[in-house]
Amino acid sequence: MNRPGPDASRTGTPGDAGLASVTDDLRAFLTSATGRDELLHLPPGAALFGDAVGLDSLTGTLLLREIQRRFGVDVAGEDLNLDSLATLGTLAAFVAQRARPGAPQ
Amino acid sequence: MTAAGLVKCVVWDIDNTLLAGTYLESGDEPPGADPVLTAVLAELGGRGILHALASKNPPEAAAHTARVTGWRFSAAECGWGRKSDALTRIAGTLGIALDALAFVDDDPYERAEVGSALPRVLVLSPEEAAEAVGWPEFSPPVITAEARRRGEMYAERQRRQEAERAFGGTREEFLESAGTQVTIAAATTADVPRLAELAVRTRQFNSAAGRAPAARPGEAGPPGGGMTQDWFQGLLTDPGCDVVTVRLRDTFGDDGMVGGCVITRDGRTWTVPLLMMSCRAMGRGVIDALLAWLTRHAARAGAGRLRIPCVPDGRNVPLRLALAAAGFRVPGPPPAAYQRDLGTPLPALPGWVTAPGERGGGTGGGGTA
Repeated sequence: MNRPGPDASRTGTPGDAGLASVTDDLRAFLTSATGRDELLHLPPGAALFGDAVGLDSLTGTLLLREIQRRFGVDVAGEDLNLDSLATLGTLAAFVAQRARPGAPQ
Repeated sequence: MTAAGLVKCVVWDIDNTLLAGTYLESGDEPPGADPVLTAVLAELGGRGILHALASKNPPEAAAHTARVTGWRFSAAECGWGRKSDALTRIAGTLGIALDALAFVDDDPYERAEVGSALPRVLVLSPEEAAEAVGWPEFSPPVITAEARRRGEMYAERQRRQEAERAFGGTREEFLESAGTQVTIAAATTADVPRLAELAVRTRQFNSAAGRAPAARPGEAGPPGGGMTQDWFQGLLTDPGCDVVTVRLRDTFGDDGMVGGCVITRDGRTWTVPLLMMSCRAMGRGVIDALLAWLTRHAARAGAGRLRIPCVPDGRNVPLRLALAAAGFRVPGPPPAAYQRDLGTPLPALPGWVTAPGERGGGTGGGGTA
């Protein structure tokens, strides 16, 4: 379901603080979940599945749970094919566009 | 009901439930065990059901309860927080879905709190728990060697998780250092009871869960809806069909058969009507190894496409993630199957995986050393 709330359009604007902070939050979470410090500098175009990050069913489930907790976005429910998990950038954009107003700290 | 109805772990209160009295109000001598519920612990444990504790008491109460009941509990949450939070943590620690938990407490307030916060948990009074040994929720259709060792395997799992937390490197490096060995092999008649048990018990990693009943023979229906021992036995002699088992072990312990799949070959398209794995094996490279091997195996045999029918829902997210990670996509709206074009570069298989058609066991250092 779409949530055309006031914040949805604001955080969806390219280059704004919402997208940047979601991207940073995802980097921090991936770093702690995988134990790979280099992920703190992961470029937005990096693939999440595959060697760079190595997202699998366990780290992926933890990541989606954390996104739901922190941003109120149910990625698995809204994206049946999980195409949003292609890269760090696609996931951050997907989350930033749908983040519930006030949910992120 | 299907798989969702089976209880995998009972979470017990201590005071006036497993103990015949209150731990902190009994002076020098803590109360003994309730004899009826102690017998229930043993009976359910023998069926492969785990036991855990959730108590508003200091941790010593859990140690005392383990001593007087003679039972080794798979998890214990002692403290003064909400019991629903304790159950959520226990489910996370054991890797068990909340709707596979039962909760037993003599205090109606605690039962109401858990029942309202976690409506999927089966909530029972001690009197009901004493009768529950006869209920279908506590009666798995088959009890295998894996089931009888389940309590031990969860203890091994806790030691493995502690070692992994202390380990500095990545998960892949940990799996390698733990001597992980995944063995993929053709199923035999001796494997049939465990295959049927996995078909009923798995949910997060079961491609057939949530599916409508089979339209024609040889097609998989939903778990518990026809994937019986007879169904698997019939597939073993079907020339158009392969039944595959996956076993897992490492230096912490032997988990036995943790997964399996069924393959049907139809010209250049291969279909996997059933793919399943115990959630206990999650995070240990098993599902990824199985999907990589299936892809390589089908491509080597000349297939052009591999299909895995699976209805996406909220509960099979881990399997959907594994399928997405392995390059499978759903090309159309549900209920289309996940599929992967085998013309693209094939995935690698770690050296600690032994499987038909693979050189096997080579680089991972598993071997016989």
